[in-house]
Amino acid sequence: MTRLSASASAVALALAAALAGAPASAQEAVDMVLLPKFLGIAVFDQAHRGAQEAHAEIGNPGALEFLGPTPENSVAGQIEILTTAASNGVDVVMLSNNAGDQIAPAAQAAQEAGTRVVTWDSPIPSGQGESLFVAQVDFAETGRVMADMAHSIMGGEGQFAILSASPDAANQNAWIASMQEVLASDEKYAGLELVEIVYGNDQSEESYNRALALVDSHPDLELIMAPTTVGIQAAAKAMQDEGLCDRVKVSGLGLPAEMVSYTLNGCAPEFALWSFVDLGYLTYYVSYLLATGAIQGVEGETFEAGRLGSYTIEKDPTRENGLRVLMGPFTVYTAENVEAAAQ
Amino acid sequence: MRNGGLSSGTLRLIALMGVFGLVVIFFATQIDNYLRASLFNRTSTSVAIILPIAVGQAFVVLTRNIDLSVGSIVGCTAYGIGGLLAAFPDLPPPVAVAAAVAMGALFGTVNGLLVSRFGLPSIIVTLGTLAIFRSLLVQGSGGASITTASLPAWVPAFAQANAFTLGGLQIRWMVLAALAVTLLAHLVLTRLRVGRQFHAAGSNPDAAAFAGIDLRATVLRAFVISGALAGLAGFFFLARFGNITVVAGLGFELKSVGAVVVGGVNIFGGSGSVLGVLMGAALIDLIDASLVRWPLVSEFWREAVLGFLILAAVALDAALARRLMRRRARRQPEHGTAPAAAPAAMPEDARP
Repeated sequence: MTRLSASASAVALALAAALAGAPASAQEAVDMVLLPKFLGIAVFDQAHRGAQEAHAEIGNPGALEFLGPTPENSVAGQIEILTTAASNGVDVVMLSNNAGDQIAPAAQAAQEAGTRVVTWDSPIPSGQGESLFVAQVDFAETGRVMADMAHSIMGGEGQFAILSASPDAANQNAWIASMQEVLASDEKYAGLELVEIVYGNDQSEESYNRALALVDSHPDLELIMAPTTVGIQAAAKAMQDEGLCDRVKVSGLGLPAEMVSYTLNGCAPEFALWSFVDLGYLTYYVSYLLATGAIQGVEGETFEAGRLGSYTIEKDPTRENGLRVLMGPFTVYTAENVEAAAQ
Repeated sequence: MRNGGLSSGTLRLIALMGVFGLVVIFFATQIDNYLRASLFNRTSTSVAIILPIAVGQAFVVLTRNIDLSVGSIVGCTAYGIGGLLAAFPDLPPPVAVAAAVAMGALFGTVNGLLVSRFGLPSIIVTLGTLAIFRSLLVQGSGGASITTASLPAWVPAFAQANAFTLGGLQIRWMVLAALAVTLLAHLVLTRLRVGRQFHAAGSNPDAAAFAGIDLRATVLRAFVISGALAGLAGFFFLARFGNITVVAGLGFELKSVGAVVVGGVNIFGGSGSVLGVLMGAALIDLIDASLVRWPLVSEFWREAVLGFLILAAVALDAALARRLMRRRARRQPEHGTAPAAAPAAMPEDARP
């Protein structure tokens, strides 16, 4: 782990200059912390890679740190890292929030101390203390993509269940809610029946056991929808291990590299995801621009994010308060394209 | 204790079986499609992973200590051996299993040395190593996970392989291996001199020291056994789940302590049997697996139910022990020469 290199006071001076209206230069030093839900999950490392790419591209002389809590200490650890970063004078904390609204007071305190809090992947539900949220995909679209995959796998009719991450993961909960909304509002999905929602807490063994319990509880179950990369592969392995793939399919959000064998053998014929590398890259860009004052972070503002092109800050339609930048789009993986993506 | 009529250990075992039966009957009335062969298959395979950990934990608890780092050891060995097998897919299976056990034993040695050489309280030492071992895993793994695809085919196949089937009931090799470990531990603890030393060191350390038992070595041994068995469980975990992230094995400390306490091992050391631990592990896993399917209990309450179960077991234990002591005290003369009866009295006295 790298340590805070640039002297905090120098950065504070630079920041003060920026706030005082000095023109934002592209090489301004901005110290940034990328704070994932917890360390050790592949997708967060991919986001880190994207942020490093943007860091090198912009030529930010400040430090980019990848700091996260250990898995068993995610909520308290996130709050602590955010608070420490703020008191160390870090300019921006980029947060994939796993602490619900519990982190809002710490985020507000950080903002008051001059540390921007930009969320990505998973927002602060109330929007309090958050400058803006970089959304990987439109949460409403996630619901539709999941509903479409379920519809296509089950042939338009049948029972399915959802295997989610933790019960208080803001992003998963929002996706599930949006899927339920899509199911209820569109006649096309009238034949799909959601029988149960269970939580595997992003642990392989819990997710695996939950998946098997679902099959035992619902003899007519045809599909397990897992909007989490850990859950989907655990469910797919469980179905494969128990020889259930003919009866119960698995779908959801997964990493091609982890899902390729299950997609090719038919256990998980379709799943979707976005690029976490791009998400880290875009988050870095918007955070840097905010910290240097190049953008203000208000509704309607447009900015350029390197190779990804132009984005607009908008009101987040999935929350009562809060702004978002929408990345998108989804890629749906099937036997046709999964091998190429898994490389 | 054997000459005291029905020993408290036997009573406990019978009581646990009764509770086990009641739990099955209760959930059978509550959950559709409950009494199926799949219930046995799922629960037995799941118990096969927690059982070695709980048996190792029992050794530690017998010596008046506790090992909270087992979950992190499981995670580290599952990941370490997974990485090893990915790099050397031709490694013979016995070598891979031995490597897992050795790796776990190494972690256990760290715990054991800190506790026995420096006289530090085991709850603090292993709380520290719980975090340290987990952080080593997080840092060492660099976030990459082990996937089933990277493992040689025999590893996931081992978790699925049946030794034999009885109707729909599948008896898997992994389950037999875990039962064999338990039986071996039982024999060591009851038949071997070195095994009785674990009881002695826990029931009355001073007396044990006077009797010439090396307390430090005994405590160290208990932690090494706990680590080694957690390492074995780490291998089982790898075989069963294939996909190993840095959260692997999280929470096993609670489950293993639960199995040990529910299984009747005195948390103040000195008494208990691993056969009870076997029942404790099976009961806890059955309840956990059933609660998942019981619509009346929400996700948020399942952990709490395990917590209640542990508290109830400890409370019951304390009450029973007190009553037993009173009865023993009344019948003191006829037990005056039974040395095995004495140890159980000490922790009772030590209790506030």
